[in-house]
Amino acid sequence: MSYKCSRCKRDVQIDEYGGVRCPYCGHRVLLKERSRDVKEVGVN
Amino acid sequence: MELRVTESTENELSIEIAGEDHTFMNVLKGTLLEHDDITAATYDVNPEQSGGQTEPILTIKTVEGVDPLEALEEAAADVRGKTTAFRDAFEAAA
Amino acid sequence: MTAEYDVEFVEREDRDARFLVRGVTPAFANGIRRAMVADVPTMAIDTVRFVENSSVMFDEQLALRLGLVPLTTPPEGEFVEDDTVTLSIDVEGPATAYSGDLVSSDDLVQPADDNVPIIELKDGQRLEAEADAVLERGKNHAKHQGGVAVGYRHLQRVSVVDDLPEFEEQESQIVRGVIEDDGELVPTSEFDHDLSNRYPGKQVEVEDVPNAFVFRVETDGSFTVEELVTRAVDSIEARATELEDAVQL
Repeated sequence: MSYKCSRCKRDVQIDEYGGVRCPYCGHRVLLKERSRDVKEVGVN
Repeated sequence: MELRVTESTENELSIEIAGEDHTFMNVLKGTLLEHDDITAATYDVNPEQSGGQTEPILTIKTVEGVDPLEALEEAAADVRGKTTAFRDAFEAAA
Repeated sequence: MTAEYDVEFVEREDRDARFLVRGVTPAFANGIRRAMVADVPTMAIDTVRFVENSSVMFDEQLALRLGLVPLTTPPEGEFVEDDTVTLSIDVEGPATAYSGDLVSSDDLVQPADDNVPIIELKDGQRLEAEADAVLERGKNHAKHQGGVAVGYRHLQRVSVVDDLPEFEEQESQIVRGVIEDDGELVPTSEFDHDLSNRYPGKQVEVEDVPNAFVFRVETDGSFTVEELVTRAVDSIEARATELEDAVQL
């Protein structure tokens, strides 16, 4: 799961035991990014 | 188009015409009624939400000595004649 | 029984026409109308693969918009149901993504109009997607409906009965469609749909001409009006042939 730190804008991997915290700047607000996969959608 | 006869006697025929709707059934019924030896022609369809019978059922009654199945075949040929005539007339104008 | 039909065009453009058919029964006229709306297949986008969508709308919303873009439908026989054509789109903001930005893999299947807006993209937003178009019928989804405004009206015959009494105020008499005046076909728009404009000081009688219908047909650009009408008639004919064959067995 990839996140982005809302303060320093760096990509962050969440460590299950480390809690929600940016390892670079210590900021506690992380934004979840859209997956880079191709998404297939049907027209309904 | 799948056909299933639900009732059949000498001069009366009920037949299920699977996969069709008013578009074709009404044209067919109208064409059947143009024949003098067909005394009655009708069809019945139920909406999809009703459950049960949803395919149209066509019922034909004919005068004595006329096979309703043959009358149906003739009417189908008539519809084809109409479409051909319509296309010719339309293309002549276009 | 052989039917005698007579067709005459009143107004005519590629996508929009009005024509009179004489000798047609109401049942058959309605069959043709219904076939034009629901039974003539057209191409439309059915699946979209989003590579990137950083716009303000959800993938599903954009997929629906892409699906509703009219695409030109190739001539009969060129395609069958289940064939697909791939179209791609790649637009980066600031810009508006239009239907004209769709790039098709097949020359025969193109957006019918180039100016259908899909989404406005702001600075830094981007839409990149690939879509599959399929041939289907209007019965299954409105995006496959080739005829968008299809209907008919009776041809109306107008005849002058008498002069209006000298001191009587003429009332307006509204009719819509096409009238027949002494064999001449006149669209009612020519006199603002008001018979008192065309026949001032006259008393007129209006009657429906039996079995004469004026069709008004407009297509979404998938094909011309002529194509739509002939394909609709073909679809009814195909069913009649199928029934005839099935009964013979």
